[in-house]
Amino acid sequence: MYDNYYEPETIDIQKGEVVRFVVENHGQLVHEFNIGTADMHEAHQEEMVMMVEHGVIQGGTINHQMMEMDMGDGHTMKHDDPNSVLLEPGQSGELIWRFSGDTTLEFACNVPGHYQAGMYGDVRFQQ
Amino acid sequence: MKTRNPWLARICALTLMGSAIVQADEAIDAHNVNAFWGVSAEKLEYRYSDSDEKLAVIETDAWYGSDELKFRWQFTGEWEENHNAWETLENQFLAQTPISEFWDAKAGIRIDTPEGPDRVYGVIGLTGLAPYWFEIDTNLYVSDKGDASVDFEAEYELLITNYWIVSATFETLLAFSEDREIGVGKGINSTEVGLRLSYDLIDRAFSPYVGVVHERKYGDTADFARASGGGTEDWFAVVGARLAF
Amino acid sequence: MTRRLITVTLALFLPAIGMAGEYDLTVDRVKIDTGDFVKEGIGYNGSSPGPTLRFKEGEDVVINVTNNLKETTSIHWHGLILPFEQDGVPGISFPGIKPGETFTYRFPVVQAGTYWYHSHSGFQEPNGAYGAIIIEPEGREPFRYDREYVVQLTDKHPHSGDRIMRNLKSSPDYYNRQQQTVMDFFTESREQGFMATLHDRRMWGQMRMMKADIEDVQGFTGLINGKGPEQNWTGLFKPGERVRLRFINSSAMTYFDIRIPGLKMTVVQADGNNVQPVNVDEFRIGVAETYDVIVHIRDEQAYTIFAESMGRSGYARGTLAPREGMVAEVPELRKAPMLTMADMAGHMDHGDMDHGSMNHGGMDHGAMDHSSMNHGSMDQGSMNHAGMDHSAHGGGMPEDPFYASGSGLLPTASNGGKFLSYSDLRAQSPLYEEREPTREIEMRLTGNMERYEWSINGVKYEDADPVVLQYGERVRFKFVNETMMTHPMHLHGMWSILDVGAGKWNPIKHVISVAPATTVYMETEVDAPGEWAFHCHLSYHAAAGMFRKIVVEGGPNEDVASGDAQAKGGDA
Repeated sequence: MYDNYYEPETIDIQKGEVVRFVVENHGQLVHEFNIGTADMHEAHQEEMVMMVEHGVIQGGTINHQMMEMDMGDGHTMKHDDPNSVLLEPGQSGELIWRFSGDTTLEFACNVPGHYQAGMYGDVRFQQ
Repeated sequence: MKTRNPWLARICALTLMGSAIVQADEAIDAHNVNAFWGVSAEKLEYRYSDSDEKLAVIETDAWYGSDELKFRWQFTGEWEENHNAWETLENQFLAQTPISEFWDAKAGIRIDTPEGPDRVYGVIGLTGLAPYWFEIDTNLYVSDKGDASVDFEAEYELLITNYWIVSATFETLLAFSEDREIGVGKGINSTEVGLRLSYDLIDRAFSPYVGVVHERKYGDTADFARASGGGTEDWFAVVGARLAF
Repeated sequence: MTRRLITVTLALFLPAIGMAGEYDLTVDRVKIDTGDFVKEGIGYNGSSPGPTLRFKEGEDVVINVTNNLKETTSIHWHGLILPFEQDGVPGISFPGIKPGETFTYRFPVVQAGTYWYHSHSGFQEPNGAYGAIIIEPEGREPFRYDREYVVQLTDKHPHSGDRIMRNLKSSPDYYNRQQQTVMDFFTESREQGFMATLHDRRMWGQMRMMKADIEDVQGFTGLINGKGPEQNWTGLFKPGERVRLRFINSSAMTYFDIRIPGLKMTVVQADGNNVQPVNVDEFRIGVAETYDVIVHIRDEQAYTIFAESMGRSGYARGTLAPREGMVAEVPELRKAPMLTMADMAGHMDHGDMDHGSMNHGGMDHGAMDHSSMNHGSMDQGSMNHAGMDHSAHGGGMPEDPFYASGSGLLPTASNGGKFLSYSDLRAQSPLYEEREPTREIEMRLTGNMERYEWSINGVKYEDADPVVLQYGERVRFKFVNETMMTHPMHLHGMWSILDVGAGKWNPIKHVISVAPATTVYMETEVDAPGEWAFHCHLSYHAAAGMFRKIVVEGGPNEDVASGDAQAKGGDA
């Protein structure tokens, strides 16, 4: 991951394949690697807006203390979905995903503005 | 008539002085505009009085100069149709400079050459914008006969819309001594109150108007006017236009 | 010398041999048709705006400019970092280009992004002498889009620049047709009570200031890429595409509030420098600023690009459409904002503190302004609630540190969504190491509206000494706006790092807009020797004296300020 794009921007996958992604943040900003449909990304972006507004993500750092904080309704702003890794600059992470191949998927960074600016990539299924 | 040529010479001299104040720095030339000019006619109107007096009134103003120093030529003329004569014919040549945020001081010369005796005056004056948007112009004149007088003009513009404008004016003249030859008595000479409704037809360059003007003479000045067969109080209907180039 | 420069360059970028773009521009008299009027003006290569110049980062460009006018001309490459002799400011960088002459600009392109060029002579720029510059980066762009358009705005006026300046000097409200009228008085009395309205008028009347004094020059037609609202510039797209719009405000005097109803915009660049992307519904573009936004268009329908002037006296309009000829609804202009007492605060402080220096010992103000000040502070609360168009009553008043608290100019998005603020801007990638500034220079932005005089620290350009900086300094500029106008301040040759309180992430700009009664800081790494211009980019403010020469003493090799020093600089 770079500021603000992926390298590569397209990955080719066989239907039913299980893939282990090793994600490295080579940028200076916090980025996410999230696999989902365009709609899922859109929904997730709203959560990420909140994270930025509450100071959980600040440019190049993640405030983990803030993340654990109870938002008053039993929810925290923990970012622990299985389809996603959130990384500070220089960090790397792993994500294992089984592609059923039934839906059109994108991998995307939902830090506010990043997806819109073009930080997304396409998952292409081999026939 | 004899005086025409010296005036011309004077205008030329003023213009030259004006250009001398512009610095010859290339950068300033390219980025700063130092000298400006403007020509306008605040009044260009025809007045009909209730006593069948008919007057053409012209008030023009031409200036050239910088923020710091302007040279003005102000002309006022009142042509009386019934007598085929200039009742007023006045030229002022002034230098004007800012003395505060809203006020300018001016000094110069005024030359009156109407029908009848001529006069030359030294002028110092103050012009500017008073609180509540009153435009004020006031001058002290000392004539070549040694008589001193003060005039005062105030104008207020009321915007009915951004194009229909009512302007209210008040003018008065006060003399410290009598100059019977030209019909000036000691004390308050006269007042003129005007109300004009104008419409900005082309930008602010051409604004036709209609209005009413009330003129009144007082004291000895009124007596002098009566003695020479003139009226002392008149209501005028006015039609004219304001011009600015 | 040229050869030497090339040799040095070769040594540095051996693989990049032959990267030298050559361009020819002629400066011509042209006809400008806005749809509302046709006016003779000035353009490049026979048209206004001139051609869009495409450079590539890392190349050396050669631009031959031929002056076909009867007057001297110049081209300034707005926002470009280059040797000062190539900056195109007559009397500071070079003597200008005489009629019939061809001047050859040569400079290395050391940056990427959206910029523009314009004449720096007289009022040639408002008369039409401007165009766009796009510089492709050496590496990849940090964003993805399928196509791009330049959206260059201007405020074309039926009067020539000289005439406008003269009219403003004769009568500063010459072009203001939004002044408060008797009709407004009655309307407002009905809404807010007669006494309150009378009191309001009295306060402003006492100061001899106008609430409606937001745009000095009204009566223009807003153009997008040379086309008026009726001529409707149109950019085509295919549904599903992401489109990059490079907004450039080439206006003489006009700020625009820009929106595309139905689309979110992601701001990715400001003044040519990438910023961390911000999703917005609307943004304000100051004079001479640029903003790049990306829009993702999913539906097969037309969208209006609507750019209302900040004072709502005019607008520019264009369309994004899947097919030529498709149009979308054009919104109505919103109600004109009015200045508040908050916007006057800078002026009133000024009145209090340093009248002496500016006004030759003000005869009437001492007392006057004091009393109006008291009124001002007393009534600020009630004033601000009174009928401004962003009518958030009571506590919900939006705030933006780049506007005076309670300012009438504070913008809100027409759909209630996000309006971009300077405080949202973060550099995508810091250009400089963060360090303490070596000193602070205060620049009070000053003026007198009644006389149409504009100045810095109360001194006009013609009376001012140059500002002297030392090579290698990091200078913190403090802009204190003591006027009731908004001033877009432009420093040539070096970057303006806008202090938004984000440390090393502070955005890097070339124009810093300073709203009335606000104080804004910027820092500059003094890394370009020579002589540079610094001015308010409102054409008639600059010409009235809100302008300075900046002299940078010293250089990388202490080999002061010449073309040679520049070439050697590359060596070091």
